[in-house]
Amino acid sequence: MNTMTENKYFFRPCTWIFLLLVGLTVVTWLIGMKQFSGLQISLMALGIALLKGQLIGDYFMGLRQVSGYWRWAVAIWLLLIGLLVSYAFNISAY
Amino acid sequence: MNPMEKNKWPPGDLVIWIFIMAELLVFGIFFAAYAFTRANHVELFNTYQATLDRNAALLNTLALITSSYFVVRAVAAIKSDDSKRCFQWLLAALFMGAVFLVIKSMEYQHHFSQGINLSTNTFYMFYLSLTFFHFLHVVLGMVILVAVALKARAGGYCAQEHTGVETGASYWHMVDLVWIVLFPLVYVMK
Repeated sequence: MNTMTENKYFFRPCTWIFLLLVGLTVVTWLIGMKQFSGLQISLMALGIALLKGQLIGDYFMGLRQVSGYWRWAVAIWLLLIGLLVSYAFNISAY
Repeated sequence: MNPMEKNKWPPGDLVIWIFIMAELLVFGIFFAAYAFTRANHVELFNTYQATLDRNAALLNTLALITSSYFVVRAVAAIKSDDSKRCFQWLLAALFMGAVFLVIKSMEYQHHFSQGINLSTNTFYMFYLSLTFFHFLHVVLGMVILVAVALKARAGGYCAQEHTGVETGASYWHMVDLVWIVLFPLVYVMK
């Protein structure tokens, strides 16, 4: 991350990402605490996790600044996890 | 470096990224195995998932996310040639990692006191093995961060050479990343 640029801001970009991750975590927790269930709810919780994972990959691991295969390494992993888990929950719902 | 300019390689030593990919593959297989096994035992998984402590899982998720954030700040500090601040951020990250270990240990203590173990049922077999496998990765990540922090305190890194800090940081973020998926999969989705 470019600290020279970031110092101009009250909050660094990574701080905004951190706060967003905290907010999304609380949403996931609320889904669990409210005992929501069903395929759509599960996929929503999974989708939030994949989004959080992508934010961590891009902003915390620094892959946003990388080109080529490594730029997409975490995204591909998340996509595969998303597809496999979605499929498994889909077949269990019917 | 121009902030808009992209690097060919990810931050840190390339070897750690190959290791990270191998780890993610293993966890990915574990997650898929959990999900497909659950598909054949939906009632069992939903019943015993309800016995888990979601508040503890929330605190643990927040602990790891916060820890990862502190590590990001440590990397930013060393890029600014501030070894002292880098060390302090790493200490803060280690503290949050310790918080995770304490909370998770308390969860295990609760389960074991109720006579729950790997043989109790399929859900607990997955829950205990998956979370303990991740627990061991947190321990390993903390060992790496301790080594990086000690070297940072000794002035072993600077703005021009801080590959070690980025290497440790990348591994630690992987530990966080895995938990980010594990949390909803095991504690929430039903």
